[in-house]
Amino acid sequence: MDAVSLIPAPDAIPVHWFWLHLLLTLTTFLHFVAMNIMLGTGFIAFSTPFWRGNDVLPLNSHIAKVLPYSIAFTINLGVAPLLFLQVLYGQFLYTSSILMATYWLSIVGLLIISYYAAYIYRLVDEKTGLARLYIGASILLLLVVSFLFSNNISIMQMPEVWSTYFSDRTGWLLNFSDAALVPRYLHFIASAIAIGGLAIALYFEIRQRRGAKDGDEWIKLGCNWFTGATIINFGFGFWFLGALPTVAYDPATIGGKIFFILVVGSVATIIPAVASAQTGRIIPATAWALGTVLLMTLARDVLRLTYLKPYFSLPDLPYVPQYSSFVVFLLAFAGGIFLVGWMLKTVWNAKKEVA
Amino acid sequence: MNYPVWQLEFLGGGFLIAVIAIIHVYIAQFAVGGGLFLVLTEHLGRRNNDPGIIDYVRRHTKFFLLLTMVFGALTGVGIWFTISLLNPSATSVLIHTFVFAWSTEWTFFVVEIVSLFIYYYTFDTLSERKHLIMGWIYFGAAWMSLFVINGIIDFMLTPGAWVENNNFWSGFFNPTFWPALFFRTFFSIMIAGLFGFLTASFLKDKKLRTTMLRYSAKWLLVPFVLFLAASWWYRASLPPHIEEIIFQKMPQLRPFITLFMACSPLLILGGLIMAIRMPSGLSRSMAAVMLLIGLMYFGAFEFLREGGRRPYIIYDYMYSNTILKKDLDQVAEAGVLQQAKWIEHKRITPDNLGAAGRELFNVLCLSCHSIGGPLNDIRQQVRMSSPEELNLIFATMGKERPYMPPFAGNEFEKQVLIKFLNTNIRR
Ligand code: HEC
Repeated sequence: MDAVSLIPAPDAIPVHWFWLHLLLTLTTFLHFVAMNIMLGTGFIAFSTPFWRGNDVLPLNSHIAKVLPYSIAFTINLGVAPLLFLQVLYGQFLYTSSILMATYWLSIVGLLIISYYAAYIYRLVDEKTGLARLYIGASILLLLVVSFLFSNNISIMQMPEVWSTYFSDRTGWLLNFSDAALVPRYLHFIASAIAIGGLAIALYFEIRQRRGAKDGDEWIKLGCNWFTGATIINFGFGFWFLGALPTVAYDPATIGGKIFFILVVGSVATIIPAVASAQTGRIIPATAWALGTVLLMTLARDVLRLTYLKPYFSLPDLPYVPQYSSFVVFLLAFAGGIFLVGWMLKTVWNAKKEVA
Repeated sequence: MNYPVWQLEFLGGGFLIAVIAIIHVYIAQFAVGGGLFLVLTEHLGRRNNDPGIIDYVRRHTKFFLLLTMVFGALTGVGIWFTISLLNPSATSVLIHTFVFAWSTEWTFFVVEIVSLFIYYYTFDTLSERKHLIMGWIYFGAAWMSLFVINGIIDFMLTPGAWVENNNFWSGFFNPTFWPALFFRTFFSIMIAGLFGFLTASFLKDKKLRTTMLRYSAKWLLVPFVLFLAASWWYRASLPPHIEEIIFQKMPQLRPFITLFMACSPLLILGGLIMAIRMPSGLSRSMAAVMLLIGLMYFGAFEFLREGGRRPYIIYDYMYSNTILKKDLDQVAEAGVLQQAKWIEHKRITPDNLGAAGRELFNVLCLSCHSIGGPLNDIRQQVRMSSPEELNLIFATMGKERPYMPPFAGNEFEKQVLIKFLNTNIRR
């Protein structure tokens, strides 16, 4: 069946697509950062004891304390991009979600279990032995959830596979026909582990700046994870690139050109990030690495547009301007940022007083 | 018509969404009223200089955090996932019309998370005043998120002038916005009392337990009066034709109206009993029973609100099976199989009668009828009448049977669907 005839008609957007895309990219970036911290630190906490034994338990207590926060923020910061993605690409996203409906809905249950497992790991005193099952389960489920997300985006971008619906309408579709699915997923996971390592280093660096004496060991451990995972990720990255259709980076098209520049840019920023981390300059390393994550987020946006090009481009969306609610949102957003800033500052200062 | 249909059989007919929604809305309302409960109880403890009460608030906060932030937040995401799978067209309308209401809601949600974490972890590190401010910020943000979501939920039942003018504000501040806001606010405060019973009944200190149980009873009983007034106002502001359909023309909603009516005195009575001094084991079981009654109470209301919307998903605009009211005639003329996108058997032949019938059923009926499931099972519905009577039922859909949309297919499709029902469903 002809894929074009299956694509649902989109509803009208109330502001120019540019604004919605700006919000999409921005919130996706924030979501990725939170997700990387969550998945990366959790993965490191789970796996390091396998070869370092109980030495690393002090580190694990810290990670266990932060993990419920990072899960909460990952989910929260995931809600916003999912919203804007639906506004701009709903006709693709709803469809792909339905084709994998059973898996897609299972995400909710998996996340609830994973979240409570993380809380239990936080609340138990003994972080070895059986307790490791909790963090193991939590991380394993998060890895499954990530895979399901990759799968959804893969189906969403490839209307050419949608007609498989007619052979299974009960929502059990996984898109292994997409050669880029697995490398794409692994690329994301390795990135999370790298950024998770860097987050550990940053956490202890900040503690030291505030007067803590411990942490040298963990800064080093974090930086090593960052470096190791990044090197491996070059491999996954090239595999991913190789699996993409060539139009993705074809310099003859605008999209291809931009994508190419973004990829080169992210290589150009991750190298100084690794160099800084290896020489113990954590703050610059973090700044460079965040730059890489941002460039990769943008690359992903461009890639999606390339995939969908035969079927859709953003200016095609029906547009019926109604800006007033947008203004209200911007005010609420500014107010929210102010409040969050005030609250964090208050807590930060109070800790100083106590310490 | 626009999207593929997820062929959910047993859990269809609204069962899946009802289970997730009722649990979620209950906890989400607790997240609002319970926030007020936290700060006001902390105020009480600080004013009386009672460390017992402060310690109670701290424990209650932990329970509150684990329940609302994990289960509450994720079931919320769950509803969103579910509706976009079961009715993507309606979800798309809600998302596109209210994108900035959703995103405003999201900013409040961020504030809620940050303030609640801070509130929980800084009982000892912040000054009393600042700690209380954190609690108030939490409650303010939580109530504002109720304010926003309330506009969107009520929109589906009473979209008001939006149907004509497509204006954001007409849809948001729709005819039932204000009564529903008060209704939900008072209810959320009552739920705070119900959960207060639960945590208070676990207190070891006898005197403190009695104090806190009585205190929670006030949270349940005082807003009750206001809540009843708001329910009355809510009913009065329903457009007359909707009110008539819900309360008179839909026999299947009767049990829920009765349940709602029956639970009111039960809750009042239970609240009064909870204020009597009791052994802690007994008050624990009582508290659990009260929570359950509260859940049924609210569940009954949600069933009424959702059921009362039939045959629409967005009143006067989109039918449950995603056909727009204004398109109905045109669809009936051209035929459903021609108009819908995700159809394998666009042309009916003698060989594909069954499969085409199934597709018609998917598109037109599956949104409200499960196959063999607990809610609105089509097998049972079909068995209630003879094969010949189905013709009459089809002819009265949308008229004498106002809970179903008019049959949207053409005459031939009608016969194919009836044949499908009589052979494949009636077994
Ligand atoms: C808007 C939701 C909705 C849609 C769409 C819908 N139905 Fe119904 N249907 C109902 C409800 C509600 C009842 C009444 C259930 C009860 O009384 O317990 C019902 C009852 C029935 C009955 C039993 C007769 C009666 O009126 O009680 C039959 C038969 C039936 N439906 C068939 C269909 C068929 C066939 C379709 C698709 C063309 C369909 N329905 C679409 C909601 C719907």
